[in-house]
Amino acid sequence: MSESRTRPFPLVDRTDPNLLEETFDYSLPPLIRFDGPIIEYVEGKPVQFDPKALKTRELVITDTTFRDGQQARPPYTIEQMVHIYDLLAKLGGPNGVIRQTEFFLYTRNDRETLDRCRALGHRYPECTGWIRANSMDDFRLVQENKLTETGLLTSCSDYHIFNKLKFKSRKECMDRYCQVVDAAFSAGIRPRCHLEDITRADVEGFVFPFVERLMRMSEQVPEKLSVKVRMCDTMGFGLTYPGAELPRSVPKLVYKMNQEVGVPSSRLEWHGHNDFHKVHVNAATAWLYGCDALNSTLFGFGERTGNPPLEGAVFEYIALRGDLCGIRTEAITELAEYMRSIGLPIAENYPFVGRGFNTTQAGIHAGGLRQDERIYNIFDTTALLGRPPRVSLTDKSGADGVAHWINEFFGLKGDQRISKIKMHKVARWVFDQYEVHGRLTAISDQEMEAKVRELMPDYWARHKGQ
Amino acid sequence: MATLQERVIAVTARVLRMEPATIRPEHHFAKDLGAESIQSVELVANFEEEFGIEMDEDAALSVSTVGGAVDFIGKVCAEQGVAV
Repeated sequence: MSESRTRPFPLVDRTDPNLLEETFDYSLPPLIRFDGPIIEYVEGKPVQFDPKALKTRELVITDTTFRDGQQARPPYTIEQMVHIYDLLAKLGGPNGVIRQTEFFLYTRNDRETLDRCRALGHRYPECTGWIRANSMDDFRLVQENKLTETGLLTSCSDYHIFNKLKFKSRKECMDRYCQVVDAAFSAGIRPRCHLEDITRADVEGFVFPFVERLMRMSEQVPEKLSVKVRMCDTMGFGLTYPGAELPRSVPKLVYKMNQEVGVPSSRLEWHGHNDFHKVHVNAATAWLYGCDALNSTLFGFGERTGNPPLEGAVFEYIALRGDLCGIRTEAITELAEYMRSIGLPIAENYPFVGRGFNTTQAGIHAGGLRQDERIYNIFDTTALLGRPPRVSLTDKSGADGVAHWINEFFGLKGDQRISKIKMHKVARWVFDQYEVHGRLTAISDQEMEAKVRELMPDYWARHKGQ
Repeated sequence: MATLQERVIAVTARVLRMEPATIRPEHHFAKDLGAESIQSVELVANFEEEFGIEMDEDAALSVSTVGGAVDFIGKVCAEQGVAV
């Protein structure tokens, strides 16, 4: 019989709240804290990872909005890309948390965009290229555009090697890829090998031998040319669960690349896709286990189901580091507004930037917001995103919802806030919209504004003037 | 002149659209008289108007019976110097 593991949990009574503010510091996204080492079993042996290293390693976010992001939509104009690049620079701050972004180089527009982005004079994000590298001429493009680093497609699953690229053998494929890498070295360009479809590849039979060869080749060139490795979870097959097997295990992929194949953390990057709703956590897990660069796109917009959302990575970064590190989070809202203005759809409930991401409809939640906004707001969204928590008025909003809307509308805080008693006529109007008139849509801000003006004229005059 | 209790019952009857004669002090606003959340707010607003007083929102909304409202309003009137 197994011994019972239950133990008593006596009530710790207190008369003041314990708000766990060491984690839920309202001025930041909730901090990600660990209370011990992380253990993953690799080939039956426990391997420890120290999460404290996350504070000291040079974690970075890289961006592929203009490459993968643009593969999923009609092309951006040059002006649009330059403006987005400018805002990315503002968001990432002077420490270059958003370290790099990559550009196509094939058309005149591609090259003009690159020139105009660089002309802005931002140190970060650094501009890198992306080429198919089917032809050695591609390196000429990289050289002519004075880029020092470019991504190269080095697909690594047999789905690609045999069924798409039609190589006769893995050796033929590896030799060809290494020729391309050699050509990059000869051109003085740092190659970043994009290991496409790694989570469906024979990692022991092809990926690790190939990357091991890349590491040996890198020893023959100056450090600034040494190969970077981007692990591409092309189909979103990656898994974070302890004990998951290769090639799908993100922890094991990163660990083996880093500790057994010998790719330094600073030269490892994770690029994911969201086919199974795992895109952000897979990418953040790669950070955790030893991969320094997290590749992402703004609002996750990318091929098919998209990539790790850059803004999610930004908040993850802050939560892991416990500090803004120069990041200007308000630029996320600016980027979202700009993207909407050029026709990029962002779902209402999309985290951090959807129009309703911090809007509550339930009256009971609005009541909580009215008492202390921390109850139903994830962090100080007013300070970090310029987005105060809001209520959207429906039949579920109740008088608390109406009170929250009106106080926010008048911009009243603390003791200045108007009690719901004083706005009962507006609350009645809202209630009757549904109970009496059978309305089925939410009440718009414009309608509310008109009703407040009509039914609360004294308050209107006091707070909105004439 | 109507008593405090008669005035409280008159306001309650008007807001909840009931006959005053059916309302008794022991009646619970929600359970016995069917007051919904919005009507509770309207009751407090109408009591304030009827008696010319200002009530603390949370305290006023926590009063659950007609008799309780009579006592609470009587106390607030005394504190605010309003004759009833």
